[in-house]
Amino acid sequence: MQLFSCPFCGPRDETEFLFAAEAGKTRPEPAADVSAERWSEYLYLGGNPRGATREIWQHLTCGEFFAMERDTVTHVVSVSHSLRGEEA
Amino acid sequence: MLETMRDRGKFWTPVPDWTTARIERDGLSVRRIAGLGQMLISGDLRGAVAGLAPGVSEIGLWSLAEADSYFVRSARDRGLLVTPAPQHVAPGWREGYVATPCDDAYAVLELAGSGLAEMVAEATSVDLEAGSRSAAVLFAGVTVFLYRTAPSTARLHVESPMASYLWKWLDER
Ligand SMILES: [Zn+2]
Repeated sequence: MQLFSCPFCGPRDETEFLFAAEAGKTRPEPAADVSAERWSEYLYLGGNPRGATREIWQHLTCGEFFAMERDTVTHVVSVSHSLRGEEA
Repeated sequence: MLETMRDRGKFWTPVPDWTTARIERDGLSVRRIAGLGQMLISGDLRGAVAGLAPGVSEIGLWSLAEADSYFVRSARDRGLLVTPAPQHVAPGWREGYVATPCDDAYAVLELAGSGLAEMVAEATSVDLEAGSRSAAVLFAGVTVFLYRTAPSTARLHVESPMASYLWKWLDER
């Protein structure tokens, strides 16, 4: 069992959370000018780094999306913080 | 008799007779509380509480509700206003917030007794003494709002369709 920290609720069990996306993805615009390859890349491809990463997670019981920085090797979460008023 | 349509009734967990259903065992009793007023609020929570139920306290996870009416915080911008009886408020947008009466949307179970903490520890994995601003928590795998009305008496609100499952889960401990 691992605890993640929701910026609003505080520490909760990992089963209350859902991975949403790697942070920093920007939706390609305008849609009409975006190639199928670019859409595919946006939707399906991730950096999947080994080590430190920054991701968007959702705390399911309260619904909040937030940023979490963690290590994909050690699973240590260094920080999680609110996305309110910030870029993802 | 010819079976013309499959009877899936037996597939589902039997629904208890809520008027009489009780779980009674050493250190724990459980019953359903009927008739409370429940209203989902989203948006400007402070303004909503001031407009709909001035003066009621906000409670979070495992907090003690000390009055008959209280506001159960579930998220940064949402919560459930609980009153002793349904309030007749037209659903929809107000000044900065949305109010949605949902008196029957959640079943309210009361768990009481000296074995309460042990039962809750089995159903959840959160540090109750540390508290949490949101009362929403996974309890036996389903999302509930969990708080107390006395030191050894807890209430949980669960979406009504999940009440039979949760009752069975509690009954089989
Ligand atoms: Zn949360």
